Amino acid sequence: MKSEDNLKLLEDYLEGDLDAEEELFARYDREIEISPAVWAGIEKRIVPIAQTSYPWMRIAAVILLAIGLGSVYLASRKENTTSTPNESDQTFARFTIPTPEKETRIKPNKRRIIPVPKRDNPGVLSSDLAYLDLDDQDTANHLEQTQNLLRSIRNVTVSDGDEEIDVTYDKALSQRLLNENVVLRRDAEMKAKFPTKTLLADLEPLLIDIANLPDHARPEDVRAIKERVNKTEIVAALIEYRDRGTNNR
Amino acid sequence: MKRLTVDELNLEGQPGAFAGTLMNSSADLVTRVCQGDSEAFRLVFERYSRPVISFIFDMVNDRGLAEELTQETFVRAYRAMRTMRKDTKLSTWLFGIARNVARESIRARVRANSHVHLADKSVMDLSDDKPVPVDGLLSKELNDLIRRSLAALDEDKRLVFTLKVLHQCSYEEIAAITGFSIAKLKTDLHRARAEMRRRISPYAGVGYEV
Repeated sequence: MKSEDNLKLLEDYLEGDLDAEEELFARYDREIEISPAVWAGIEKRIVPIAQTSYPWMRIAAVILLAIGLGSVYLASRKENTTSTPNESDQTFARFTIPTPEKETRIKPNKRRIIPVPKRDNPGVLSSDLAYLDLDDQDTANHLEQTQNLLRSIRNVTVSDGDEEIDVTYDKALSQRLLNENVVLRRDAEMKAKFPTKTLLADLEPLLIDIANLPDHARPEDVRAIKERVNKTEIVAALIEYRDRGTNNR
Repeated sequence: MKRLTVDELNLEGQPGAFAGTLMNSSADLVTRVCQGDSEAFRLVFERYSRPVISFIFDMVNDRGLAEELTQETFVRAYRAMRTMRKDTKLSTWLFGIARNVARESIRARVRANSHVHLADKSVMDLSDDKPVPVDGLLSKELNDLIRRSLAALDEDKRLVFTLKVLHQCSYEEIAAITGFSIAKLKTDLHRARAEMRRRISPYAGVGYEV
């Protein structure tokens, strides 16, 4: 059925009239209805954030804090009073909950050496402490290298006078990181680590583009990638991810 | 005819969509969702589900899959809403997630070598039992032609064309959603427009030179 109205609109559209284009596509009907099952499915899969997980997390944090403070207080009291365990310490020892502190507790008659807490190096993407399993450490190393690559691309000085820019190293590194990225992204997806997966998925197009540059790239190609790195704020996203540490997972 | 913007589009014709929504700005809704108010998230869904499912359908050209991916988009949005930056527009952010979800699905289909071909009978028969369109809508034949023409565009061009022409997003919004540079957006849009005109022109019985 071709109505006169439609045909006129179509002719205007084909002649390049942008108003006609707007109207034509406004009339385009996808014949889609949103079935109630869509919301029902979403409702099943979401868990209210504040009402469930956070109160538990707060309670758990308070309990852990209390245990930690109690352990520190009793340990220091024990050192200050006597070098041999007294009655109250023995009582404490019977009821205390095992914590990592226990491993560093000294035996009687020996001076206690207070370990210096290990600190994160601010210049490093992640500390070993933040990533407890091997996968996380792999991802952290991968993201650190990717961040360095993107920073180096972002910092390339591109002037209009340049005929070509040597990106041989960046290209080779990007090819390697791209392979890693695919594996880590699938792994994160399998383990339902969605923020990690999303971040890795966002990195992929950039890595593909860098990996596909010729060894001696044209300045405009490098500039386009630089602009995308800036526009997508992917480096900031990597830093934010690092700062969030284990909370992501 | 002035088209509705993304934010207005979804309110029209949505049963219950006006209830409470006009009193709730997107920022208020986001704050409430982050505080665990699932009713606020239902309002977000009512407000944005139509543009999101339309956008996903434009990308994947499959109604059942579009519903599934819409569901996935909103679940991811709910889980990540705390990470949303305050200066980000909710619709732009949701489209960004929808774009990622659709892209993953398209790539998975390509990888699985089960790409839906335009000649597939299942695609051609998708809306055979639908009623004859009323005045103001396009004929079924033209609707189908537009749908097939959109599906034939390559992924980047389809993405840019859909967001700009069908969803009336600004270049800045599209850049935020896609991560493409403005120059690439303009180039892709220009090529997509030319390709769409070329594919649609036979319907009007005219040839079209690119």
